[in-house]
Amino acid sequence: MEENNNMTAERSLAIITEQIERSRRAVSKSTGQSLYISGLCTMAMAVIVPIVNLLILPDGYATLGHLLWFTLPFIIVFIIRNLYKNREHAPVSLVGTLVGQTWKTFGVFGLGFFVLANGWNYILSSSTNDTMAIVAHHANLTPVIYLLMGMAVAITGHILNSRWLVWFGIIASLVIAVCDFACVGTMLLARFGAPLSIVSHSNSILPCVSVFVLAFFGLMLPGLLLKNQK
Amino acid sequence: MFQPLDPLLHSELRLAIMSLLISDLEAEFPYIKEQTGATAGNLSVQVDKLAAAGYIEVVKTFKGKRPCTICRITLKGQQAFEAYVEALKSYLQIGKP
Repeated sequence: MEENNNMTAERSLAIITEQIERSRRAVSKSTGQSLYISGLCTMAMAVIVPIVNLLILPDGYATLGHLLWFTLPFIIVFIIRNLYKNREHAPVSLVGTLVGQTWKTFGVFGLGFFVLANGWNYILSSSTNDTMAIVAHHANLTPVIYLLMGMAVAITGHILNSRWLVWFGIIASLVIAVCDFACVGTMLLARFGAPLSIVSHSNSILPCVSVFVLAFFGLMLPGLLLKNQK
Repeated sequence: MFQPLDPLLHSELRLAIMSLLISDLEAEFPYIKEQTGATAGNLSVQVDKLAAAGYIEVVKTFKGKRPCTICRITLKGQQAFEAYVEALKSYLQIGKP
């Protein structure tokens, strides 16, 4: 593009339209790549965690594998930085920044609640105070995480102007949270004849299935669509 | 009848730079070069002109060990761009049958 000061109004308009469109495509690709990688990593972790939990099942620490979730943000950042080195020229956009901040906030709340809830449950379990045992309740961790994740998916949908993503985030997280409260997954496992060891430890496996579904539809799929948008 | 067009923006390359920056918070020099297809030297001259007018802000920093030039549109630049688009509309409306 050369310096030409004798443009027609139509040419000016064409330049503005073309550059805004180019910028939109670059932002879509960059945001899509981040969402796609985050989705793939979350789904991979949702497969690894139950495998680790099943492997250590005989030792009685069937929920120990969930500690691996703490490594997820670091893995995502590491992969995005190394896999898309050419992305260093991508523009910083409001859309990309908002989507990134939404998921960072989810990560802080999710992992923060994970630590607090497990800490509280540990204190409650090891307490010998009778009154405390009567009035206090164990914190139910997973429904809160699903709702937080659903909220992040819905906000991402709003930012990306994707109505199906908004509704998916709301409906899927509410349905999964209610099913978790009602132990629907455990009942289905028992109904379809799953081994007793798995049924009794379903709380260490089923959350990963829910996270896998939410990550597939809430992160990977919109990321893929954005990445391949023309 | 016709509103005057800002001469600083009424240039292909400068208009392209401003159009890119209007939709992004900030962009690196190589990204702008890639999107506009301009040569580094020409782009650098036009960026300096826009920066001198206060339409964009140029920050020279480092990314690791490599130098990195970041361009951001300023409020004055946004207002100038909006005024340019408004002026452009008057030309396009007159041109309509």
